[in-house]
Amino acid sequence: MKNYLKQFAMVITVASMALGGASTVFGEEVLRFATWNSSENLAILQKISKRFEAANPGVKVQVESYGDGYDKKLIAAFGAGNPPDVMYMWNYPKYYTSLVPLDEFMARDAEDMDLEDIPAGLINTTRIEGKAYGIPAGFTTHVVFYNKDMFATSGIAEPEAGWTWSDLREKAAKFRDKSSKTYGFAVEMKPDPYDYEQFFWSNGTRFIAEDGSSVDGYMNSPEAVEVLTMFAEMARTEEATVLGVGDSTSGSALFKGGKLAMFQSAMWSKGGIDKAGINYGVAMLPAFGNKPVHSSIGASAMSIAKATKNPELAWKFVKFYASPEAVKLRENDLPVRTSIAEEMNLTTDPVYKPFFEMLALSDRESNAFLRHRNWSKIQANLERAIEATMFEKGNAKKHLDNAVARSRRHLN
Amino acid sequence: MSTLVVQDDVAEERHRFIEKLTPYLFISPWILGFLFFTLGPLIFSFVMGFYDWPVVGERTFVGLQNYEVMLTEDPLFWDSLWVTVKFALFFVPFNVVLGLLLAVLLNQKVIGTGVFRTIFYLPSVISGVALVTIWAWIYSHEYGILNFLLGLAGIEGPNWLGDPNWSLLAIVIASLWGLGGTMLILLTGLQSIPKELYEAARMSGVPGWARLVYITIPMLSPMLLFTLITSIISAFQQLTIALLLTKGGPLESTYFFAMYVYDNAFMYFEMGFAAANSWVMFLIILILSMLVLKSSSAWVYYEGEMNNSEAADD
Repeated sequence: MKNYLKQFAMVITVASMALGGASTVFGEEVLRFATWNSSENLAILQKISKRFEAANPGVKVQVESYGDGYDKKLIAAFGAGNPPDVMYMWNYPKYYTSLVPLDEFMARDAEDMDLEDIPAGLINTTRIEGKAYGIPAGFTTHVVFYNKDMFATSGIAEPEAGWTWSDLREKAAKFRDKSSKTYGFAVEMKPDPYDYEQFFWSNGTRFIAEDGSSVDGYMNSPEAVEVLTMFAEMARTEEATVLGVGDSTSGSALFKGGKLAMFQSAMWSKGGIDKAGINYGVAMLPAFGNKPVHSSIGASAMSIAKATKNPELAWKFVKFYASPEAVKLRENDLPVRTSIAEEMNLTTDPVYKPFFEMLALSDRESNAFLRHRNWSKIQANLERAIEATMFEKGNAKKHLDNAVARSRRHLN
Repeated sequence: MSTLVVQDDVAEERHRFIEKLTPYLFISPWILGFLFFTLGPLIFSFVMGFYDWPVVGERTFVGLQNYEVMLTEDPLFWDSLWVTVKFALFFVPFNVVLGLLLAVLLNQKVIGTGVFRTIFYLPSVISGVALVTIWAWIYSHEYGILNFLLGLAGIEGPNWLGDPNWSLLAIVIASLWGLGGTMLILLTGLQSIPKELYEAARMSGVPGWARLVYITIPMLSPMLLFTLITSIISAFQQLTIALLLTKGGPLESTYFFAMYVYDNAFMYFEMGFAAANSWVMFLIILILSMLVLKSSSAWVYYEGEMNNSEAADD
């Protein structure tokens, strides 16, 4: 009987939450927090949320994991007028009109939360028209993982600081072995453009003009053509395997299986590689000749919905996520606080050090999607150009020109 | 006295009214479902098509602009429509013809037909996602069973899902795997054809192929009409397999119209534009279905019906 009562109470609870986001259940204040994380990363968030609950009696944090369908579920929640109070955010141009600008909160609590400890470059990834809409809780830069055992066996010198793409290509070519299906490097057929822009930056160009007015002369600049041509060339000469064609073999799977000597990725691959027991090293991204390298920064930042009934509590929660206590718990990305990174000796640890070195070099540019509200449509044309170039193993100029022409109508 | 009569009339009228209403009450669950879940959204989406309708933010009335952009500015509209038409041109004939062939074979009195019927119908029971997972493995370039078998025959198999020249064909084949539904309908039709017709034909020495052409196909034509129309509709609405197997690639060679609508709605969140897209699709399917129905008087034979010339002969 008791069980039935419990179930009945459960149904009522769920129903009442569904009916317009009642924020009070059984006298508790409920804070809804949506994330794209799942499995291990989700467990970390739940742990942090439990700590927040312990420190704030009467508050219940409801962690909602939307997983792969994050953007669709989030937009549906906003569209229905029932968004979560706090959420992971990356697509600020799409959502910022429905988010709380955080500058006033930040100015008020700057000292209390030791804001200077968080690199400004990270907060800048959340700015639209100068206003910050998110507080980063974790981040990653991009690096090259390499299999130390494979380097030792083949007698090839490991990557050194300040290495270039021609160094990488030279090494990669030596690893290619047809019989054992081994490759030196991997390039993507359909890369995520968000991360791909780092190659444009590192070669001295970008996807779109700084003021967002034009892609002509940027997306199809000689430097851009050079980037695409280089990757296509690597595929043609088999210095690199091409990922994302038909079969869904992932780069991390190849690397973990010892079939790939070097793998360009970010923190999100590290956990899996650790588990696979690979003896690996981490190198910074290679440079294009003597041009300065610039990494893409992926930040998990937290934003507050304008529709929240309790902005103060939501802010308190966001602040807690950026607190030293919470930042320390995030093992699967990097601490946003310099003091914590130093305290945990990450800035000197050879595996973590390159991530921070990349961060230090990567404050000049911000992502194209922050610069134009129609970016997602423009980006589709760029993705097509990259894919066509990789498929034909060349013709980058033609495809990029085509992408520019097709993007023109979205630029107004 | 007169008031009583009037009252009687009123009571009777009420009684009659209720009597008339009763059947409608019985079908009301369906009517309500149709109104709220089919007709309502249909009309609503038509209205949406005239708006710039983002999920978050202001809606503005834009008149015919969505249709104009689609038809004149967006190359993807025509590209995706062309992919869909190509798919339909392959899928519809194969689906009906192979379905018929299977049905005819499974209608033979051979040991184990029951088992075969189940086997051929099984793929139709599998959910789309599971089906796609199976085919992703079959088609795998290096590790797939299809290229392994081709290799045994000395043929180097193509990169089915990675080569724009093969990807659409791969999707056609994967889609045809689910022709169990078509087969089942045609098989039911076959079994309702009176045996006497075949017996009479056999006794008159009519050969097997002629029995198929002159008895089976005409008697089956209403079922064929039905499967033809449903095949056309499902071909134009193809989404699941392409979305999961190739994501529209490579190089948009499998970028179906339904995917274009889906992306506009749920990737770019342009609900008004997507609504206009789906109305174009609706009209295309409507026109095609009407054409097929119109042509049916020439080739579909209903047993219970006499056409004019026959009636005149009598």
